[in-house]
Amino acid sequence: MTTAAYELIDLTHYYGGHPALSLRHLAIRDCGVTGIVGPNGSGKSTLLKILAFLITPTRGRMLFRGKPAPSPAAGRKEATLLLQQTYLLKRSVFENVAYGLKVRGDTAGLEARVREALEMAGLAPDVFIRRQWRELSGGEARRVALASRLALRPRILLLDEPTGNLDKNSSQRIKEAALTVGKGWGTTLVIASHDMNWLETVADVIIPIESA
Amino acid sequence: MEFLLDGGQEAIRLLVNGDPETYSAIRATVAVSSLSVLASLALGIPLGFGLGYADFPGRRALRTMADTALALPTVVIGLVVYALLSKQGPLGHLGLLFTLPGIAIGLTILGVPIIVSLTATAVEGLDEDFRHTVLTLGANRRQMLLAGLWEARYSMMVAAVLAFGRIVSEVGIAMMVGGNIKWHTRTITTAIALETGKGEFATGIALGIVLLGIALAVNSGIVLLRKRARL
Repeated sequence: MTTAAYELIDLTHYYGGHPALSLRHLAIRDCGVTGIVGPNGSGKSTLLKILAFLITPTRGRMLFRGKPAPSPAAGRKEATLLLQQTYLLKRSVFENVAYGLKVRGDTAGLEARVREALEMAGLAPDVFIRRQWRELSGGEARRVALASRLALRPRILLLDEPTGNLDKNSSQRIKEAALTVGKGWGTTLVIASHDMNWLETVADVIIPIESA
Repeated sequence: MEFLLDGGQEAIRLLVNGDPETYSAIRATVAVSSLSVLASLALGIPLGFGLGYADFPGRRALRTMADTALALPTVVIGLVVYALLSKQGPLGHLGLLFTLPGIAIGLTILGVPIIVSLTATAVEGLDEDFRHTVLTLGANRRQMLLAGLWEARYSMMVAAVLAFGRIVSEVGIAMMVGGNIKWHTRTITTAIALETGKGEFATGIALGIVLLGIALAVNSGIVLLRKRARL
């Protein structure tokens, strides 16, 4: 039996005094694809931000691979999150995808890795790599954001509504990339999505969460 | 109306023939405005970034003060700087009264609140998604600050251009601190005021055309940069 990637015990998070997430116990496997489902406002995005070490829960315990959670900076070296709202830096596609590698000081073969990540996200590198952020459609921007996470080859990849508000083509490309990462790279993939049909086809486990 | 038309024709003649007095005022204006904008940026960007980014007691009060300083009357700035730089003043030994650097000090006081206020607004506009995006990609705090500055660059350029527009058209500080000395501290605006007072409309109009040209260029720059900042 493998150790859980995350174990959350009696965990609660509040925003300005209002409960956003409340969990008695939740364990996420350290392999494969885990789907998170729940109604709007159930705290899926909050949960993923906690798993990505972006916010610290107000109360409760989080174990990471069986040990107390590391510092946020150390945790973020292991896990990266595709946020629900796409945010691209006001730079070129290349600079966006290369940003994470540069700030981590991991710049060997930078352009080749950026190109590979773009291809995985279904964007032809020759067409997109020099484009500016303002020259992208919503679906293309979403895929560039995904490529910037894929370029890092993270141990844990968290996707928050990765196909929300996207056209069929962009959705399909993102689903294919997620599948490659989850099944091919051995990356632990956690996906929060409303798309139950898709989640059922890709996820090994689906965890429902309820409103806090 | 005739004098305006005559003035316009004379203005073109002065500009085309490279009238030394006219160009001396233009050079002084460009030099003192550029120096002031650079100093305003050097002081205003760190202050504005800190004010927009950091959370500390009294931040709101400081923000209100910075916004209030946008409406500082230029004659009051001129008066204070004159008092500081005059022989009896604490900075009198520097000998900056009636010099271009002296005017630049006063104009910097005018420009800094513009840069501080607009930089703080731009940084406040960087939402949580920006912060979470750079952090999840692996940035540390310092890298996040630098990325934030770079994200706000178009808004800060707008601030610089706005400050330049305000500084280049200022007359009170330039007159009081510079003394409107011909060939030395006479700027476009002080020259216009003087020439109009003497009834020399041609030179005044010529300089006015240059000032309008600068204002047009400044506004075109703002429109372009605002468009970029919104994207």
